[in-house]
Amino acid sequence: MIADEKTLSRLMAASQRGDKRAYATLLEEASRWLTRYFRRKIAPEHLDDLVQEVLVSLHRKRASYDPARPFLPWLAAIARYRWVDHLRSAYRRQEQALEHEDPGEEGGQEAVLARMSLDRLLENLPIGQAEVIELVRIEGHSIAEAAALSGQSESLVKVNIHRGLKKLSALIEKAE
Amino acid sequence: MNGDLPPKPVSGLIDELTADLEPVHIMRGRDGMALALAALAVTVVAVALIAGLREGLMSSAPPSFFLIANLLLLLLGLAAATAVVSMAGPRVGNRHDAPKWALAMVTVLPLAALASLTGPGQLTHALGDDNYGWQCAAYGSISAMLVAAALTAWLRRGAPVSPERAGLWTGVAAGALGSAAYGLHCPIDSMAHLGIWHMLPVAVCGALGRVALPPLLRW
Repeated sequence: MIADEKTLSRLMAASQRGDKRAYATLLEEASRWLTRYFRRKIAPEHLDDLVQEVLVSLHRKRASYDPARPFLPWLAAIARYRWVDHLRSAYRRQEQALEHEDPGEEGGQEAVLARMSLDRLLENLPIGQAEVIELVRIEGHSIAEAAALSGQSESLVKVNIHRGLKKLSALIEKAE
Repeated sequence: MNGDLPPKPVSGLIDELTADLEPVHIMRGRDGMALALAALAVTVVAVALIAGLREGLMSSAPPSFFLIANLLLLLLGLAAATAVVSMAGPRVGNRHDAPKWALAMVTVLPLAALASLTGPGQLTHALGDDNYGWQCAAYGSISAMLVAAALTAWLRRGAPVSPERAGLWTGVAAGALGSAAYGLHCPIDSMAHLGIWHMLPVAVCGALGRVALPPLLRW
């Protein structure tokens, strides 16, 4: 069971003062929370990497947490920032290396869960942008496949992914 | 995967991060604003020492356009600086709407200035014959540098999650405060001069901040 908000805020405040025991507990709790948080938002094979990236970010940016405020909205903002960053970089890699690769069937159930949860954030985007981000980033389709499935041209798919990711990054603090 | 224990590679990372833990100085909003205000104060002193304050600033009641323009710039600068300072400590649910309204309010000045210059040749005359126009715009922008540097340093220490927006409002804050500071030197009080040339640093610095700062603010 993950600790409540009050406990996490107290642990983080103690960590900022240099309390290593509190910090170890906080990181374990944060790790569990992030695992659940991302499990609905990213393909399973990237889950551990992303959780670790956020923990490192938490460590590097721990001075930016104000102990007078709740901890989880701060952690969620950092998690979302890293998540959008991950989508961007993974998309760039995919454009370079996976243009003609078959998406495969592995992790289908997890991908469905990821897609469902991602919808909650993606619903802030225009339908055309959200659709192609889902097709290419969550389901792993190529640009050509996404174009065929969405009825958009390949260049429009690329433009919509670019614009959608840019807009997502602007929604990190706003999107509830 | 065990739901109660973090995965093994994460456990290793937790050990490393815990071993690396040192106490940190918490970034409180008041410290960020103090930094921005200190940068503004140094800028005002620099304007006073290098360019000199306008005649009669301390001894007589300043003209109303001078007061309106510079106080609006000051308010915009403070609203934008406050937003920038809070962007260093991100939070889902944060809204940064104040500088948008302040910017909309300040935009009235250039619009009013342009509206007052609709007669034949008036705009060209006002722009071409204002010998101090470019000087005020340029020195107002240069006066923005210290505030921009202070806010950028603050953001780089923090965790801004929207570097583009943070860059834009850093530029707007610095441009508005820099122009207000240089406004203490400028002796011209016309609506056209203040509404156009003293507002230009806000647009220029805002655009520069939006384009140039995000690479420095990503983390």
